[in-house]
Amino acid sequence: MEIFRFGHDAWGRNVLEGVSWDLLPVAAGVGLVVILGHAVYRLVCRRSGG
Amino acid sequence: MATSADAMDAVPSGTTPADTDRVVRHAAVDRVFHWLTAITVLTLMGTALLPIMGVRFDWSPIHWVAGVILILLTIFHLLRSMAWRKLRSIWFTAGELRREQVGKYSVAQKLMHHAMGLMALSAVVTGALMLKKVRTPFLERDPYIFGFDTWGVIYVIHGLAALAAVTLVMIHIYFALIPENRMYLRAMVRGWITRQEQRAHVAAHVTGKKQD
Repeated sequence: MEIFRFGHDAWGRNVLEGVSWDLLPVAAGVGLVVILGHAVYRLVCRRSGG
Repeated sequence: MATSADAMDAVPSGTTPADTDRVVRHAAVDRVFHWLTAITVLTLMGTALLPIMGVRFDWSPIHWVAGVILILLTIFHLLRSMAWRKLRSIWFTAGELRREQVGKYSVAQKLMHHAMGLMALSAVVTGALMLKKVRTPFLERDPYIFGFDTWGVIYVIHGLAALAAVTLVMIHIYFALIPENRMYLRAMVRGWITRQEQRAHVAAHVTGKKQD
């Protein structure tokens, strides 16, 4: 998985073009992990009467 | 420990608490700001990320117009926060961190605000610079204002803000919709919470405080 996107300028040199969009599923995954983690925490708290 | 979820019973569906029982949580101007910002951020995310996922349309004009609106909203919010409110109040107090007191916002709510603020400011500052790369009625296009390396860094920061927006918006919507936080969602729509809900807010975030 790439972290950055690179392209070439008019002279063929490597230039930074931005962050890699391969990271898009990672960003969504982090959100999902937080949501599921909190949902499980709520469930455990509710069952233990907390 | 009592939680703010208990307070959901405070307003049975179909009934409205008396005006004397209501506490204003968000002024109309803040609610309008919040929902305008929400629509603008979702528009920016849609126009930025849908083309990456293969949905083809002329996204650029919608994106930069929405970006200009977000710049104006951010300036408005910063001015309002600094001129009409105590900027210090957005930071954490020692009592809040020790769970001995809570203000209008909990530590978690402040953390979310700061994360959203950092994301929005990063996107707004880099987006404002990127306006020099597109044709707009109010700016002369000049993509050579920065070198390739500088543009690369600007694009990386803008992209990181977009990725952070995906994570933060998902988390924000989830926490807005869960039952124990529904009073905060109603307050952002209608402006008020009940006194019982306010007590539940304190009980949920201060150790040893019991809800009535």
